[in-house]
Amino acid sequence: MVSGTQGDVGHIGSERSNAYSSASIAARQRRRKMSRTLKGWAFLLPTFVFIGAFAYWPAVRALEGAFTSWDGVSPPTWVGLGNFRQLWHDTVFLDSFLHLLWWSIIGIPLGMVASFLVALLIYRLGSNRAQYWFRLAFALTLCLPGIVGILTWSNFYEIDGLINTILNGIGLHSLATAWLSNPKTALGALIFMGFPWVQAFAMLVFYAGLQQIPRDILDAAAVDGIGSLRRVWHIEIPLIKGQLKVILVLSIIGITQNLLPPLLLTQGGPGNATWTPVLYMYEQAFQYDTIGYALAIAFILFVVSLVLAILTMRFLRTDAEKRRRVA
Amino acid sequence: MNSSRRVRKLGRIPHYTFLAVIGILSLFPIYFMAVTGLKNGVQLQKNPFNIAIAHPFGNFYATAWSYLAHPFIHTAIIIVPSIVGILALGMLSAYAFARMEFFGSTFLFYAIFGLLLIPGFLTLIPLFLEVRGMGLVNNPLGLILPYIAGGQAFAIFVFRSAISDIPEELFEAARIDGASHLRMLWSITLVFCRPIMVAVGLLNITTFWGDYVFPSLVLNTGQSTAAMAIGNFQPPPSVSSINVTNMQFAAYTIVSVPLILLFIIFLRYFISGMASGAVKM
Repeated sequence: MVSGTQGDVGHIGSERSNAYSSASIAARQRRRKMSRTLKGWAFLLPTFVFIGAFAYWPAVRALEGAFTSWDGVSPPTWVGLGNFRQLWHDTVFLDSFLHLLWWSIIGIPLGMVASFLVALLIYRLGSNRAQYWFRLAFALTLCLPGIVGILTWSNFYEIDGLINTILNGIGLHSLATAWLSNPKTALGALIFMGFPWVQAFAMLVFYAGLQQIPRDILDAAAVDGIGSLRRVWHIEIPLIKGQLKVILVLSIIGITQNLLPPLLLTQGGPGNATWTPVLYMYEQAFQYDTIGYALAIAFILFVVSLVLAILTMRFLRTDAEKRRRVA
Repeated sequence: MNSSRRVRKLGRIPHYTFLAVIGILSLFPIYFMAVTGLKNGVQLQKNPFNIAIAHPFGNFYATAWSYLAHPFIHTAIIIVPSIVGILALGMLSAYAFARMEFFGSTFLFYAIFGLLLIPGFLTLIPLFLEVRGMGLVNNPLGLILPYIAGGQAFAIFVFRSAISDIPEELFEAARIDGASHLRMLWSITLVFCRPIMVAVGLLNITTFWGDYVFPSLVLNTGQSTAAMAIGNFQPPPSVSSINVTNMQFAAYTIVSVPLILLFIIFLRYFISGMASGAVKM
């Protein structure tokens, strides 16, 4: 700061009469700016101490740990791409990625379609009161802790659980099975868990988007005599593309880190039928202490989900964003 | 208008019925939990859907509660400081971003915003090793400190736009009266932001209350949180094996009750918070 002031005096130079005063004004301004900056940083300091120690530091450790052999106790040794080479030949890992692929291809559309459908049906209800109560009913599912929902469904899937009771009740005895311990059905049972798959958060986001559709667009469509299905396809879906995109990205990120269902219900079994990458990572780290190997899995999963999220953001650009880009 | 009225008239009954059926199916697990906890195993086998009461004095619920009381206290000891920390630090930072001009503010904002791109599974293992290295295993702080850090990005993101929405004239007037930033944060910002703070607090409580993976790494079973307690549920030997399911569901119901109560009490905030969080995404 001191050297900056001197520099200014030199620069102003020839206008001797004004030099001193304008230099001191500049100095004062700079001092004020400096004190403002220090004050701003002081407000941010506690946050940065916390996120530095418990978010950025572990993230850095994770990324560099992927290139090491490490048991979590003794210091890690650098192995370069060794972990990744090993993963390339690890059939359990490759299968786990295939399971994740199935899970995404089936699970993401199920959740999004169900949530969109409910949002649309609520939005199209005539009465505001009915809209409110239906939104409330679905929002109530938000306060069921995820672990409780998973454990409840695990009970539904048991050999004497609700699903088999219903199947037996309607005469489909042959279909009844121990859903989560039959290797043919275990992965499917995990994917289809949570019927009817309405996610309250996604539904509320879609609903908020639908509500922002300008009245005159809907009126114009009505004048043109547009049908109900065409209205969905040509007006409502395009106009909430932004919300659909956000939920899609969140779903991709959410499904890659969906550890709890396989961890609590199947632990990768029966056989190797329900491994997912994140579960494999967890077991490698906390059952076998192969931390470096586990972090290499996390690294791959992180890159894949980041790339997918970026691609989604780019390819599903909304009209408003396109305009902004042109301008 | 004409067509929409026609659609409305024709579609009304199937429309409502369909929505109601999906709604009932979505809420069914909550109902199933609560009534299964009231039945015994024989009644459950006979009819899983009806309401039947095995013990008029709620025996399974009482037994489950004796098992869950300590985990409830442990969870509260973790959640309360975490929420206070998230709201206090989040507010300070959000205020700085919304109302103060200083060098590097844009960069620092993106440095926080970028946290939203770091998924939990990536940091899970190093974070656990770090907490273990700090000697915080089996210590509530081993969860509280990471929770406060984890809650910052979303809170700051939402708070910043809420603070920007407060009319500038209020701050102008306060500045003329010689108020400091801390003073303006306390007597203007906090007053206006109370609803959004409640909403962010509630969303975080919901997350922490149901968190299982990280607590089960950091704490041993003697220090169980509520979610750990039901995840590792071992029915006491006094419960005969046919009734184990009923015991479990009584426990699941009890663990869900606090969130359902919070939801009902803070309904208004919940909906407005969801909406604002959603719209601003």
